[in-house]
Amino acid sequence: MRVLVTGATWGVGAALVRRLVEEPGVELVLAVGRDGADPPVSHARLAYRVADLGRARAVHDLVMGDARAHAIDRVFHADENALSSLDLVHACTNHPTIRRLVYRSFAEVYALGHTTANIIDEDSRLDFDPTSPRWVRHRVEADTALCARMHGPLSIAVLRFAEVFAAGARSQLWDYARSRVCLRPLGFDPMINVLSMEDAVEAALAALRSTAVGVFNIPGADTLPLSAVIAECHRMDIPVPGPLLAPLYSLRTSVTGLEFRYDLNFRRFHFGAVLDGTRAHEQLGFTPQFQIHWPAPWWQQFAAKLRG
Amino acid sequence: MATLHQRIANPPDFHDEGHGYDMFGLYPPRLADVVVAARPLYERYFRVRSSGAFRIPPGPVILVANHAGVLPVDGAVLCLDVLRQSEPTRIPRAIADQFIPRLPLVSTAFARLGVVSGTRANVRWLLEHGELIVIFPEGVSGPAKPFRERYTLQRWTVGFAELAIRHRAAIVPVAILGSEESWPVIAKLGVRLFGAPYLPIPLSPVPLPVHYEVRYAPPIHLDNDPSDADDPDVVAAVADRVRAELEQQLADSRLVRRGVFR
Repeated sequence: MRVLVTGATWGVGAALVRRLVEEPGVELVLAVGRDGADPPVSHARLAYRVADLGRARAVHDLVMGDARAHAIDRVFHADENALSSLDLVHACTNHPTIRRLVYRSFAEVYALGHTTANIIDEDSRLDFDPTSPRWVRHRVEADTALCARMHGPLSIAVLRFAEVFAAGARSQLWDYARSRVCLRPLGFDPMINVLSMEDAVEAALAALRSTAVGVFNIPGADTLPLSAVIAECHRMDIPVPGPLLAPLYSLRTSVTGLEFRYDLNFRRFHFGAVLDGTRAHEQLGFTPQFQIHWPAPWWQQFAAKLRG
Repeated sequence: MATLHQRIANPPDFHDEGHGYDMFGLYPPRLADVVVAARPLYERYFRVRSSGAFRIPPGPVILVANHAGVLPVDGAVLCLDVLRQSEPTRIPRAIADQFIPRLPLVSTAFARLGVVSGTRANVRWLLEHGELIVIFPEGVSGPAKPFRERYTLQRWTVGFAELAIRHRAAIVPVAILGSEESWPVIAKLGVRLFGAPYLPIPLSPVPLPVHYEVRYAPPIHLDNDPSDADDPDVVAAVADRVRAELEQQLADSRLVRRGVFR
């Protein structure tokens, strides 16, 4: 395999690059990061490029330039600019060497509410609500654009990942749980499914190796109520009336600069939803195996720091 | 010999998702606590008499019952009965109306006790995993009926029949006596709170201590091919057959009933 990985300097992209360079059967990894970002690892099998994939010209030059020169045959797209997917799939289609594109999508593309199922399969409704946050709308657009091209010459797999609960993954829940005090809506304690970084990498690898075309949910090995997530992170759990949460968390963001946004999480903090991973199990051979490494209590972390 | 609490807190075939909960939020130890705490209600207040629970077969099962009362007390009594009487212990998954998840506190409490929102995907998952579900095909029309029509089955939805055919689930009609008299509705206000169709006004602030009876009919094992679930006529015929069985079960039960409060 000769693999192009975008979004390679953070989160799933970076972890995948570190794994791919050690993987037998991988001849080359072309990793793409943004300006100012260092490559995730140094390795003889790694070629690193800097490109702003928010510009169509940059995408074209990457795919038709570096990717063609390196005879890339597979692409894993995890760039944070979701709309770059449209330019990328256009460039990869009819490419002389690229045969497969795996797109890292998000569970947040699914519509969630009191009438939706607790079990979300790949045929569940997507969130086309025009009032949804822009972050969600862009990802829905990218996801559906790739789905629309699924039966062309390029083999496409769209992986809808559950939330990767890890440092450096830009996880909303991880950011939420960084506070000593976690607020949640009074009277609601929905089920949350989270994915470990190890399982995210395993899923990506399985999809890159496979020839299966389609959309695949990638659930994690941890399904538990929101209150249990807070307890596992050793944080104080305080239920407050729902209307207070948005202003309180806006205040927190402006004061602390942390990234958790309540508007992005409003629905899943009320309605439980777990991805059904049956299709990924049957067609990609993926089953989540690795549970989350929950943070140790603060006193254990302090003791570990003292021990050096 | 395991106690009631132990049997419920550690049920066989529980689909633990890694932290003691299933993916719908069921937490068996909490359910066991509630069942034990509800023992005085079951044994002394409602004095529930149960017959035929041994008829509940293994594998996917749909319990179909008549429905009445301001709040689903009949559902609670039926679920308590299944938990106490079934051997080995089966956890009933009551299927709730889709406005339930909007209710603070209630939604969470129901989830911990095994209640599941009535979406197609949820019910499909439960039956594919061999669970026992509780459905009231009358829906809200059951509790909404006037007192003079008590024990008369109202609008009869057919979804349960389609599910039973598609997933080869056995259907057990269950006649519940006592729900009609326990908490009758004297008025319905057209106020829609949290998506509930109306605001019921009960005769009394709490359910009356009527004598409940729960009678399980022999299971109906369908010999249809799962593809028959796409044939509306076949589905309607199965639904009608179950309705007839339940009506007969209700009629037979009322004949031998000693009294509402005795």
